[in-house]
Amino acid sequence: MTKERGGGLIFLLVGIYGLIFSRLLSLGKWNDPGPGVLPFVISMLLCVSGISWFIAGKPKRGEKSDINWGRLARMLRTPLQIVVLTAAFVLVITRTGYLAGSILYLFLFLLWVSHYTPRTAVGMALVMGIGSWLFFVKLLVIQLPTIGWWIF
Amino acid sequence: MDFFGNIITGFQITFQPVNLLYCFAGCLVGTLIGVLPGIGPSGTISILLPVTFKISPVTSVIFLAGIYYGAMYGGSTTSILVNVPGEAASVVTCLDGYQMARQGRAGPALGIAAFGSFIAGTLSVLALMFLSYPLSRFALAFGPPEYTALIILGITILTYLAQKSLLKALMMATFGFMLAFVGVDMLTGKARFTFGIPALMDGIGILPIVMGIFGVAEVLENFDASGEISVVKAKLGNLFPSRQDWKDCWKPISRGTLIGFFLGIIPGGSATLASFISYATEKRCSKHPERFGRGAIEGVAGPESANNSACAGGLVPLFALGIPPSVVAALLFAALMMHGIQPGPFIITEHPQIFWGLVASMYLGNIMLMVINLPLIGVWVQVLKVPRRVLLPLILFFCIVGAYAINNSFFDVGVMMLFGVIGYLMKKFDYEAAPLVLAFVLGPILENSMRQSLRISRGSFWIFFSRPVSGTLLVLAGLILLSYFFFNKQRDVLDEKEIKT
Repeated sequence: MTKERGGGLIFLLVGIYGLIFSRLLSLGKWNDPGPGVLPFVISMLLCVSGISWFIAGKPKRGEKSDINWGRLARMLRTPLQIVVLTAAFVLVITRTGYLAGSILYLFLFLLWVSHYTPRTAVGMALVMGIGSWLFFVKLLVIQLPTIGWWIF
Repeated sequence: MDFFGNIITGFQITFQPVNLLYCFAGCLVGTLIGVLPGIGPSGTISILLPVTFKISPVTSVIFLAGIYYGAMYGGSTTSILVNVPGEAASVVTCLDGYQMARQGRAGPALGIAAFGSFIAGTLSVLALMFLSYPLSRFALAFGPPEYTALIILGITILTYLAQKSLLKALMMATFGFMLAFVGVDMLTGKARFTFGIPALMDGIGILPIVMGIFGVAEVLENFDASGEISVVKAKLGNLFPSRQDWKDCWKPISRGTLIGFFLGIIPGGSATLASFISYATEKRCSKHPERFGRGAIEGVAGPESANNSACAGGLVPLFALGIPPSVVAALLFAALMMHGIQPGPFIITEHPQIFWGLVASMYLGNIMLMVINLPLIGVWVQVLKVPRRVLLPLILFFCIVGAYAINNSFFDVGVMMLFGVIGYLMKKFDYEAAPLVLAFVLGPILENSMRQSLRISRGSFWIFFSRPVSGTLLVLAGLILLSYFFFNKQRDVLDEKEIKT
């Protein structure tokens, strides 16, 4: 499976999904187009371009597949760490309030992703967390989660 | 039309303390973003868009535009001193600017970049002023068929100018259209592609998408990048170019201004493309092209003028036609929509304070940038030394809070992170983001225009060809596509011949 074939396949699948579900919407008539017309046309275009890219991505004779799955997994490791950490932050912030949640998030981020020592990470997390609270909540007056009497 | 009366009104608006402050803040943030490699003006504007909810539409447009052209100024600093472009439009400046720095001519390089940017910026704002109004009057006669044709032409040009592959750009554009269809159909009220999720009934917001693709994806990509940034250890010396430098550079600056302005108007014709074409033009026009890549000052003057000029050029179709030709223009489009203002030919007459306030602020902003950039070069050099591992989490944090602040909803944060991962994969597998974002913005306009046109014509597609403007635009789109296939075939034939010989 080459990169081009992988990309073409993904777009083809999205296009097929679009074709199926836009048919379920009303296509209407030519003089009164329904909500499904343009999604149907665009989905067809997506299918055609996906197929073209899939065909163009045919490996040449003797050429090995150029998707290195191990390298792909390594490439996705840091982004996934960040996504997992951010998801945890979102779940926790409504319980802890913004300030505590942000300091915890930044601490774990600086420790786990940026690879700082725990002492450095704590100090930087406190400065950045409090600074961001002052900037967003006090200066910009953005409504961020708080918990009851806990003003932070 | 009373240009002078309007420009005076514009300056009166700009000189209001709050607008002056935000103009300065925009220029400062823009310069900072331009100096720091890793995040560009698109990402920054998308991150700061939620911040502009609480300020007036004029002020927010002044602020966001300041970030855009400020980044063009700031990008040259890192290109010249570090050989790392601060943002994409300054890539070409590295070729000769860094060599000049190594030869002890960092000062004149920085100076000509700043002066060239100032001259180009000022001239292009003049052109913006004189071109937008007549074009908007012309566009008042546009109906749904003309808008349909214009958007089709715009997307065609955008995919034609794709730097990687036309097919890839087309796939991204169609994907962008598909994303635009999510939500409730405005004409019939039917839900489309919402998966039963109530939060998707209003569609996917543009902010989470652009913040994800440009902000979060840049952060994720830059965590991969390693290595310390080393700055050229050279005395900056005199920042003012010599008489000989001006003699060598006045033509590149003039050409760069023209190239940048007209490329900025074309969809897909970004500041980056303008700088590349300007560099190629200067090399071709030079009597000593062998000097390019070895410290030719023309190789700095031309591209830096072009990328600044493209900023103003990109605002012409936005204000005259309501069609954003670039990602940044699409973000300004989104900013205006957020404030309940529909960009288009009526904006200059119905909201003159926005257009003329912005134009006047760009004159002022160019002066501010000259002041910020040249004397503060030493400060910007220090900023470059902030570790990436500290800066990137802060940027990500800004993105998260910004996305939450849109609707006080973590759903938008989730959408942003999803598009952040998608944007990261797009960068790794060489898919361009601009066609996706522009198609997403233009998709609803295209759909409404097309459906209205077919209603008017009672189902006949001939309406698109029977009207002179829309017919011309569609024929032009067809010719552009044909020329792509023709020249591609010619290129393949030439390549085959070269291989055989």
